[in-house]
This record gives sequence, C-alpha cells and structure tokens, in this order.
Amino acid sequence: MKLLVVEDEPSLLNSITRYFQQEQFTCEGVSNFTDALQRMEDIIYDCIILDINLPGGSGLQLLKYLREDKKKDGVIIISARDSLDDKILGLNYGADDYLTKPFHLPELSARVKALLRRKYSDGSAAVDLKVLHIELASRTVTTQGQSIALSKIEYDLLLFLVTNKNRVVSRQAIAEHLYNGPSDQAPGPEFVYSHIKNLKRKLKEKGCPEIIQSVYGLGYKLVV
Amino acid sequence: MLAGSVFFYLTLMAHIRHMKHQQLQLKQTNVWNAYSLDTVHVPAMLAGEYSIAPGKMQDDMISGSDDVIADSANLAYLMQAHRLNNKTYIVTTYISAKEYRHLLIKVSIAEAIIFILLLVTIVIVNRRTSARLWTPFYSTMNAIRGYDIRQNKPLALETTTGTEEFDRLNRTLLDLIDHVDQAYRNQKQFTENASHELQTPLAIIRSKVELLSEGPGLNEDSAQLLQEIAEANERLSQMNKNLLLLTRIDNGQYPEVELIELSRSVEHLGNFFREYYENKISRTATTIQPNVHLMANPALIEILINNLLRNAYIHNIPDGWVDIQLSDKGLVIKNSGPAIDGDPERLFDRFRKGRVDNRTTGLGLALVKQITQLYKYDIQYTYREGVHTLSLSFA
Repeated sequence: MKLLVVEDEPSLLNSITRYFQQEQFTCEGVSNFTDALQRMEDIIYDCIILDINLPGGSGLQLLKYLREDKKKDGVIIISARDSLDDKILGLNYGADDYLTKPFHLPELSARVKALLRRKYSDGSAAVDLKVLHIELASRTVTTQGQSIALSKIEYDLLLFLVTNKNRVVSRQAIAEHLYNGPSDQAPGPEFVYSHIKNLKRKLKEKGCPEIIQSVYGLGYKLVV
Repeated sequence: MLAGSVFFYLTLMAHIRHMKHQQLQLKQTNVWNAYSLDTVHVPAMLAGEYSIAPGKMQDDMISGSDDVIADSANLAYLMQAHRLNNKTYIVTTYISAKEYRHLLIKVSIAEAIIFILLLVTIVIVNRRTSARLWTPFYSTMNAIRGYDIRQNKPLALETTTGTEEFDRLNRTLLDLIDHVDQAYRNQKQFTENASHELQTPLAIIRSKVELLSEGPGLNEDSAQLLQEIAEANERLSQMNKNLLLLTRIDNGQYPEVELIELSRSVEHLGNFFREYYENKISRTATTIQPNVHLMANPALIEILINNLLRNAYIHNIPDGWVDIQLSDKGLVIKNSGPAIDGDPERLFDRFRKGRVDNRTTGLGLALVKQITQLYKYDIQYTYREGVHTLSLSFA
C-alpha cells in the first residue's frame, strides 16, 4: 500500500511516516504545497494524509486539483482547525475523512485502514485473525466457530485493537476512539481498564487464546 | 431676584421720601413767603396744611440743613425755623402721607406679580429647554448602560447632537470604548492564538510518546516514566482544547445553528455514558420525552450535554446512581454523590475543582456555563441529602 503524508511540521511528519513504515506501508512524506502537487501528479497513492495549512498553498486546493483530475486516491484531512465549516468544506471537496489535530497515531492508522477497507473490499468486509473472525457489516465476532456477544463499546474496542494489531494503543487513544463524537470531549481513560477486562473475559469464555496484552502502564496490545 | 426686590423697595422708599420732602419744602417756602409779607391777614394756622408758631430752635435747625420731617398717623410734616424781625417762628407744613403709602403698596404688589410671573416663566422655559438640551446626554447614558463588551456590538453614539459639549463627550467616549474593545479583542485573540499554537507541540509530544512506547528498548522503568509523560501531556491537551473552546464561544465562532433533535442526542450520549461507566455506576435511569427539539449549534449542545452527564458519572460514589430526565421543559440530571467543597455559587467557575482530582481539567462546567449564557438557558444546581441536581431549562 502506498501512502503520502503532506504535513508542514517536520517533527510530526517524521512521526507519522515512521509509524506507517513500521506497518509495511510504503510511506512518503512532503512538507510543502509544490512538492505535494508534484508527487500527486506523478504517483497514484492508496491514501493521502493531507494537512490544510501548508507553506505555499492550502491542502484544500490540492484536494480540488486531485478530484478535478478524476483521481480516486483516498484522502484523509488532518487539520488543527476543527470548526464545523472546515470539516464540511473538506468533505465537500471530496475528502474521505477528517481528523482534528492533535490526534493519536493509532487513531490515524485506524482511519487509514478503514478507508482502505472501504475502498478495496466491495462491501463484504471481514477481518480474519485465525483465532478471531470479525464481520464488519453485521458487527459479529466469532472465535473457533462460536459467536461472542459483545456490547457496542466492547465491539468498538476490539475492532480498534485488531486494526492496530501488534501495536501499543494507549488508554487515552482508546477512550477517544470509543467516544467518537463530533467534539473532542471524550471521557477520561480510567474506565478503559474495566472494558478491557470484560472483553478479555468474554473472549476467554469462548476459548479464544489470550491475545490482548497490557504493556506496562502504557496501554494495550493485541498480539497475533 | 430677592436682592433685587429689596433694592427696588429701598429705592422706591428713598424716592418717596425725597418727593415728600420736596413737596413739604415747596409748601414751607410758599407759606412762609405769604406769611412774612402779610402777618395780619394770613392766618397762623390752617389745619392739615400748616401751622406757624413763635419759638426757639437751635442754630443748626435755623440754617435749615436738618429739617425735622416725620410721619405721624396719616400726615407727613416738616418743621423749619424762620426769622422775621428778630423773632423766630417755627413753621410746620403738613401733607397727607396716605397717598404715598398707597402708592408704595400698589407698586410693591405690581412688582411682586411681575416677579412671580417672571419666575414661573423662567422655570417653565428652563425645564423645556433643559429637557431638550439634555436629550443627547440621556441617550448617551442609556447607550453606555446597555453596552456589553462581550457582545461584540459597537456602541452607537451620535457625534452631531447639535451641542458642542455633548459631541465632544460622545467622541471621547467612543474613543475610550474603542481602546477598551481593542484591548479586549487582543486579549481574546491572544488566548485563541496561544491555544492554537500550543496544539502542534502537544501533538508532537504525543506522537513521540506513542512511537517510544513501541520501542524495543522499553523496560518497566522507562515505561513508567513514559506513562507519566503521556498522562501529563494528555491533561495539558485536554485543558488546552477546553480553553480554546471557551475562547471560541466567547469570540462568537459558533454562529451556525440548526434544529437539533435533543431527544436523540441525549439518548445517544446517555447510552454511551451508561455503558462506559457501567462498572462504576450500575444504575442509570433515563426518561426521555420524544421529539424535543432545539435551535442551536450541534457541537455546542453536544458539549453541553456531554459535560453535564460526565460530571454526574465522575462526581459520584461507588455503586451510585444517575437519573436523566428530558422533557420539553428542560433537562434534569440527578446523581448520588458526596457534597461539593466550597461555595455552590462558584461551581461553574473556571479551574474550580471539587475534590482533589488530577484527572479533570476544571473547565467542564465553565464550558457548560459559557454555552448556557450564549443561548440564555437557565441552569440551576442544588444539593440535598446526597443528591446533586442540575436542571437546565431551555426557556
């Protein structure tokens, strides 16, 4: 999968590209308008992560050029401007998703993967992890042929961990992902623990091996 | 005017005295001339007119410099000494004083009437003109009283009132308000810019912590340190987000309103919080009247409901309960919980925290207050016997 990150803050750009490179993505990073335009004209990407405020122009302008060219690269806007107007404008210009800064890298990763799934799965999307099978459309989880009844929060939590499998996901990132409201008013992360506990118990009851690990105090990791 | 009246009266008196004296003197001269020419036929006395009697008077009186003039009952008289054939005669002439007194009274009354009329006219005219004259002053005062710096509305003052002084006053006031307004706006802009600029370094710290927590060199010790950095950074981020929100609401940056189905929002958020906190609070009762609508900004309403609900769950007791009631009158959230420390009136202040709780930002209820003020909703808080009640009415 080919990924382009357009972000003017070098330190943040570096973090994002490193994070995705660790996941077998081919990830390139550019930090200004002209470079981004050049790359977008030369190469077809599976997904472009696009900042709005760029030296030399607006990310929205890049998006406009891209869509006028009839290019179907997936686009996720990342912006520090979280007003509703910007979101609507971005989505109207043809962005597939919109994420407000500051975001968690696992959240960005989950958004990218969800976009790619939508793009390439033609509706029958499922996640198969040998020990665990998740049907996305019907939101059902099965292990060793047995279905597991999960609450909405537990399902969202499991899917988030599965999407970020083999990576550490902090409780804060989980809390914010679970809340998923239009504003950034997620509740505190202190109750993520109890949901992890319930999820682990339910998985264990149906004979699923222990795949969710706690990484010191930092967060959780689903290992397969 | 009073001094004028007194002066007028005294002058009048002096004039009358002078007139009396003149008349008496003329009579004296005439009488004496007639008598001195013919002492036999001219009678020595005519009642009410004059009397001539031989007598002695002191020398200075003879000179006529100081005549004796006085008023008796109705008469004024003048006594003067005259010499004829080495004999001294005292001539006293009389005139009636009645006319003069009547004249004095009549003139005084006329003057009093004129004065009173003048006074009334002056008062009326004065009132009329001052009412008209002070109109710009009162309209300025009303405009200033109605001015609220937070509303971003310019102060409308006339600078052509027709009175130079008021024009200058209004111009000075406008300049003053302009300066104050500018300072206030700069302050708000600064807060917004500062919060905005802080977001990037916060995002960088967060991403680096996330990269580090996957690092191969991680051990329990460094993980602990990293965890503490992450938590502090998250609190900072949250605080910054809320500050930014507060200033944005302050700056009127949420002008878009739409019809919100409140019943659905409350139900959705209520379900999330109930599920999210189910291991802490097992009992949540929800009574939601369907089809309750509200014209407002959806993001702000979500923040409002979110903060109220979260508050009810966080500031609760183990195995406590939460009760959510929505009707077209408003939203009432009740929950069990320990009494808050300090003044309930200050519950909605910024950075006011109930218990020592490091996980909250102290800005949640300040946001609630800001939003209720924006939409002029009424919010009431009461605490009785272990039950916190927050009532929000959308009237």
